[in-house]
Amino acid sequence: MAAVAAALCLALAPSALAGDIKVGGIFDQTGPTGAVGEDYQKGAVGATKHWNEKGGVNGAKLDLISNDYAYKIPEAVSLYKKYKDVDKVFVIQGWGTGDTNALRPLVNKDKIVFFSASYDGNLTDPKKTPFNFFIGTSYSTAIRLALIYAKENGAKKVVFIYPDHPYGKNPIPAGKDYAKVLGLEVGPDEIVGLRAIDATSQLLHMKKFDPDFAWIGGTTPSTAVIIKDAAKLGLRTKFMINCWGYDENLPKLAGKAADDRAFGMLPVAPFGADVPGMKDVVASTGDKNYTLHYVKSWVSVMVMVEGLKRAQKAGKLNGPGLKAALETIKDFDTGGLTAPITFTPTDHRPSTSMAIGGVKDGKIYIVKDVKFPREAKYIGW
Amino acid sequence: MPCGLFFSGYEKDDAIFKTVWLKVWMVLFVLFLLTYPLYAQAVSEAVGMNTLNLFNLIFIYIVGAHGLNLLTGFTGQISLGHGAFMGVGAYTAGILANLGVPFWAALPAAGLMTAAVGMIFGIPSLRLKGLYLAIATMAAQFILIYAMRNWEGLTGGSSGLIVEPASIFGISFDNDFNFYYLSLLFAAAATMYLKNITRTRTGRAFVAVRDRYLAAEVIGVNLFKYRILSFGISSFMVGMAGGLWAFYITIISDEHFTMWLSVQYLAMVIVGGLGHVLGSIFGVVFMVVLPEVLRIPTEALSGVFPDISSIFASLRELVFGLVVILFLIFEPDGMAARWHTIRAYWKLWPFSY
Repeated sequence: MAAVAAALCLALAPSALAGDIKVGGIFDQTGPTGAVGEDYQKGAVGATKHWNEKGGVNGAKLDLISNDYAYKIPEAVSLYKKYKDVDKVFVIQGWGTGDTNALRPLVNKDKIVFFSASYDGNLTDPKKTPFNFFIGTSYSTAIRLALIYAKENGAKKVVFIYPDHPYGKNPIPAGKDYAKVLGLEVGPDEIVGLRAIDATSQLLHMKKFDPDFAWIGGTTPSTAVIIKDAAKLGLRTKFMINCWGYDENLPKLAGKAADDRAFGMLPVAPFGADVPGMKDVVASTGDKNYTLHYVKSWVSVMVMVEGLKRAQKAGKLNGPGLKAALETIKDFDTGGLTAPITFTPTDHRPSTSMAIGGVKDGKIYIVKDVKFPREAKYIGW
Repeated sequence: MPCGLFFSGYEKDDAIFKTVWLKVWMVLFVLFLLTYPLYAQAVSEAVGMNTLNLFNLIFIYIVGAHGLNLLTGFTGQISLGHGAFMGVGAYTAGILANLGVPFWAALPAAGLMTAAVGMIFGIPSLRLKGLYLAIATMAAQFILIYAMRNWEGLTGGSSGLIVEPASIFGISFDNDFNFYYLSLLFAAAATMYLKNITRTRTGRAFVAVRDRYLAAEVIGVNLFKYRILSFGISSFMVGMAGGLWAFYITIISDEHFTMWLSVQYLAMVIVGGLGHVLGSIFGVVFMVVLPEVLRIPTEALSGVFPDISSIFASLRELVFGLVVILFLIFEPDGMAARWHTIRAYWKLWPFSY
């Protein structure tokens, strides 16, 4: 096996030419968030290939080094150090809330631009995290928009359901704070793990409070479990789901239970949606069907390429140069894949708009587009 | 020329480095370790991994693995809580450092705090053995992780606790190069400590407790005292490892210190060789380096076949598991035993009889 590995290394080494721009990739394909991480990784690879075929960054090709870290933070730190010292990258496409936060101090020190798939609101304040970027509407904005939607639909009582995991927990304070602003009564939190196969006991406990709406901060498999169990127990509660728990697989996993019960917060258009930018996305897959997580990483690479182009034009193709270039992006049109994206030196929230999706007859659809005012007081959480 | 070792005194028989050649090799090895960072960058680029980072992780884990080896290998008490104990050390060091306590005081404090916690969770070892003790220490794992995650005022909860890099006398250990020497120092100290404690009265008592606890009690070894002491020293070492870890990674959250880490520690000492000082070192090197080596083919293959890259990603875990199992089948005494066999072969080569 060592011989095969050595041969492969030799075979592949010349493909990385001197003019290439290396991009570190830290993805979860086999860990607790692997169910949604797999399509995200494929999207990043597909998008990199697409932009390379279109000429790369003004001629320079992108070289995405993709690695799985199974959501183990030490592994992410090791990968980061490898990318920094061995591959000498200045931009990384990363994944989860846990490791993105763990790498914050290192990223700041080494001036490496870090695109995360974690849309944690903590990462949007350039005063604290100048080198962190992401392309989706932040979790905290999503939770506020979800509560507004719930209130519009007559909710008086809400409950937060989330896994005991940074991705699940980090937006909860923003949600509780905003529930108070809206005058909603908040019931006791329920903890449902990312790998849960049963949520009956949590839902029975929740039934006593009988909320009109509940927030789910998990990923798709555990969300499907909650939705199915809620239908089984005959709860009248409707569920607002964070962006990693609602995708094309949810109706498949939850079946009829999801109809009119599951509502998702969508920072990107669903895979195959009728928007101009989707043509390239679908073409890159070779007739395979993916979930909207594929679109998320696609846009992440798209925005990175735009930043790299601008940085190269300015003659500063390095970490600080890319950061400065990204901060000049204003109302960047992603072809309808997301709302227009804007970064400024004081605000790294890409946008504050998103869509709310529902489920009908085993398919997901867009209920309405919503927008939260871009207020300075909500930067950073 | 003698074809074997013939000692004419007990001191020589008890010496750590028994022959001249061994001393020469040791000097060369120490020289290698001391100069390695100077050419680490070239090596890293040649092999495609950050070797300095790997060495630092190895040194940190060696401190902890020696701790577990003392408890499991020398005293015969199993612990499935060492992952969480490492967390206790990391959080203690981190919290103290954030309060302004200097590194040289925060690190021993982390060790002492962990020793206290370890001794508390070691109390059941008086009555419980084997599987029962495993479950009792596993409870420690879950209780401590729960506390780390939910005692947000103290630990920062799931967002983690940011720790400033260590600094002594104005030298900051905020890069791999400087940290290498710091962690090397601790790994060397831990190794010498473990090697020497096993040669003392206390160490002999530990081994007596392991081999036949009833007989040990009959000849006057205080079982309770030595079991708790073993838990204490072991936790102290793993707590120091946790403290070093905190200063190295500079952000700690409970996700570092899961059950998986406890199992990994056990795997390290078992694969390396229970009850051998060299065993924990071999085990750590093996467990840290193997996943990185397996990364090279998966990384390369993912580029060629992007569609099935997730299969290669899982393949890495699979090969890792397989290698561990094969080791247990074909070398149940661990890598240290195999090392002794190889050495014995070469010592007498070519006239082995």
